[in-house]
Amino acid sequence: MSEILTCTNITKRFGGLVAIDDVSFSIKKGETLGFIGPNGAGKSTMVNVMGGYLKADAGKIILDDVDITKMPPHKRVHEGIARTYQIPRPFPELTALMSVDVASICGKNRKNQSFEDAAGDATHYLEFVGLFSKRNIIAKDLTFFELRMLELARALATTPKVLFIDEVMAGLNPGEASTAVKMVLKAKEQFDLTIFWIEHVMAVLVEAADRIVVIQYGQKIAEGTPDEVVNNDTVVEAYLGKGWRNYA
Amino acid sequence: MVDVEIKRDRIVIRAKGKKWDWMIEPRYWRNTMYWTLALILFPAFAYFLSPGLVNTMVSANIYAAIAIPLSLMTVGTGRINFGPNFFIGVGGYVAALLSIHMGLSPWLTLPLAVLMSAFCALVFSPLVIMAKGLYYVLLTLLLPLVFLEVTFIWTGLFKGDVGLFGIELLFDLGGAKLNFIAAAYISAAIMLIFLLIANKILKSRYGLIMAAINDDEEVAHGIGVNINLVKILTFIGASAMIGVMGWFMAHYFGTFSGITYLPLTYMLKILLVFMVGGRAQIFGCVAGGYFVAFLEEFLIRVMGDFQPVAFPIILLILLFVLPRGEGLFGLYRRRHYREYMPQIHVRR
Amino acid sequence: MLDTIWFVLFFGFLMGAVYLLIALGFSLICGVLRIFHLGYAYLFPLTIYGTWFFMSELGLPLIPSIVGMVVVQLIVSYLIYTFMVKRYMDDEMTLLTGLLIVALIVEQLAAWRYPIQEGVYLDTTLMDGIFQLGLAVAPKQLVWASIIALVMTALFALFFIKTKTGLAVRALSQDILNSQFVGLNVEKLYTLTMMLVLIPVIVAMLLIAPIWTVEPAMGWQYMTTAILIAVLGGLGNIKGTIIAAFLIGIDHALMCFVVGEPRFMTLSALVLVMVILIVRPQGIARSESIW
Repeated sequence: MSEILTCTNITKRFGGLVAIDDVSFSIKKGETLGFIGPNGAGKSTMVNVMGGYLKADAGKIILDDVDITKMPPHKRVHEGIARTYQIPRPFPELTALMSVDVASICGKNRKNQSFEDAAGDATHYLEFVGLFSKRNIIAKDLTFFELRMLELARALATTPKVLFIDEVMAGLNPGEASTAVKMVLKAKEQFDLTIFWIEHVMAVLVEAADRIVVIQYGQKIAEGTPDEVVNNDTVVEAYLGKGWRNYA
Repeated sequence: MVDVEIKRDRIVIRAKGKKWDWMIEPRYWRNTMYWTLALILFPAFAYFLSPGLVNTMVSANIYAAIAIPLSLMTVGTGRINFGPNFFIGVGGYVAALLSIHMGLSPWLTLPLAVLMSAFCALVFSPLVIMAKGLYYVLLTLLLPLVFLEVTFIWTGLFKGDVGLFGIELLFDLGGAKLNFIAAAYISAAIMLIFLLIANKILKSRYGLIMAAINDDEEVAHGIGVNINLVKILTFIGASAMIGVMGWFMAHYFGTFSGITYLPLTYMLKILLVFMVGGRAQIFGCVAGGYFVAFLEEFLIRVMGDFQPVAFPIILLILLFVLPRGEGLFGLYRRRHYREYMPQIHVRR
Repeated sequence: MLDTIWFVLFFGFLMGAVYLLIALGFSLICGVLRIFHLGYAYLFPLTIYGTWFFMSELGLPLIPSIVGMVVVQLIVSYLIYTFMVKRYMDDEMTLLTGLLIVALIVEQLAAWRYPIQEGVYLDTTLMDGIFQLGLAVAPKQLVWASIIALVMTALFALFFIKTKTGLAVRALSQDILNSQFVGLNVEKLYTLTMMLVLIPVIVAMLLIAPIWTVEPAMGWQYMTTAILIAVLGGLGNIKGTIIAAFLIGIDHALMCFVVGEPRFMTLSALVLVMVILIVRPQGIARSESIW
């Protein structure tokens, strides 16, 4: 399996605060990479830097042998990156179908795709996430879970190579959460994706991820298979604090 | 061979192996054919009633034809431009100056006016990328005011407050009344063309992309839309369309003066057409334009001197009374079912 | 050469101080109420023509007329707040258009009742004569105006830093919801701000009435300058507004004395603002707070 996304020495500062400090990792094609860390560690900043909304102060990002470090967000999407948001950001006034439609039209430079073809494409993705019955409902009127599914459909409609999932379970009740996780795994299998998964809930990643990267205070403190990471002393210390052994 | 078949609810046209269905809208108040017919018959009808009405109709068409590109610009850039009359000034002055000093005919000054408007829009297009929400409102508000200053600065060229005279007229058919009617038809034609263009764009894939940008620019950027390109192109295109109206007014009235079109009074009239007509509903802009023009005329006849005070007062009352967010259009839509309606975002 | 520099500094300072008073209100409203008071332009003609109305129609001497005008201004401000700002806080488009219309109504009323030929003149001169510093000559009235402007701005700054109400207004400008959570009476504070903002403008207008032109459409010119200063200085930030006011004052002085074309004043100010916005999009201010 070859590397599809490589980040080397990424640094991002906000004034005096170093949000990401010299983080490097790589993802292999078809892998699910988990990305965890305590609150405020810099996980969402990392996704923003990789997605192109923030410019990295140092470092390089290479996607499938293409250097995307200096590309604006929409070019990165054309190269094959898609993301979902931690708090869903739909297009409030557009219907579900229209939202996914835009992604379908603009996600890549597609030749010979008419407006109607794009709409047909969009309905396939909506059907895949289970929102076909809600396709003509304005995003403002959808429930939170449906918004998450819409985010997923919209990201998938851009036919990405790598999909960044940002805490897909936040705010969902247990039933919805497990459906969401199953949906992500189904999408990975059906669309042959590589997934970069930021998550708080360890149980999910222990099962679903092939490897996990842990960051704290902007620095990478551990990397390895889920078993290795869960038993890594530094990681446990990051979550529980020094001296956790006294209470273990 | 073109084969036309008229059925009860549609017209079927067959030509060269293709078939078109043109549905006839049964609800007469939504039927564009009826309205276009009314628009065509009105000048001839008013000609016999009172020629002043034709003038009002021309004003109405002009207001509508300025509000339509403004709608397009609002949806396509996701910001509301508070100074569209800047481009009226640009188009009008280009037409006036070229006509007076170089003797070009109206049809030659048209492409040049369009080009100059587009060029000015290009120069100011960084505004669309850098300024957001209320900053954009403020800066676009200032553009026509500063242009007005410029016309006073270079009074030799622009003839500041007096205005430019002697612009070649579009038509000289011998009689003032006939000129009015010709102008009415031309202005109606321009407005209908703008309406057609705007409608086609908004209903196509580009309209969808523009709607996405209007809703959430950053997210649109994140799903592959080249937002800067789309915003700049919309800005330039809509500004060129507004410039055409400047051209028309210069050649219709024969005079052009910045003091008439550039101050905030005129901009408010256009904004009110925009808002009374129903925000970004382009068909509402036509209704708004006619409403505002006829209201103005009516007030002048009834109140004479007091009209400049009464007009804004009435507009203020209207602003508060009409359904929120939808203007006159809201009165018409009695069933407020939830469908896609572009919203105006001012604050970000 | 040295003379020109001195002229630019001297007049830049004088004009900047007056502009500061004018822009202070606009910046505060934007910062605290988070609305763009596009109808700000109505304050200028209302001050002048309101006072003139009391003087010419009711025959009152100057001071009672000023009092009467202030009362009228407070009432109008309160009405605008209650019936427009409160109702349309979330529908900015209607609010902005409505405020603009108010400014238009006031201007048209003034133009209808007191057209330019009427010769409106308010004798609010504090001190006659001219003041000379080096080679620069200015009316004493203008010098007094700038001194009063600086004192007033200092008072405002002290109000916001030292007093409890000032602190409350600062909290309000940051977060409305949280302010309500900690028990601030948002209504009263908003109304207070809207009235507070009247003071610098009224003072400025009364002071410069004898020396600068007075006409019904005067509001738009001042508002343009106020907008440019507020945007340049970072909306709602007093420090930024101060710096921006003097920057624009110096820019205008440069146009008058160095370039020799006073008519370029607004255009150059606009270009300056746009250039600085390219480099620093949030304006001169360092933070999004009032001070």
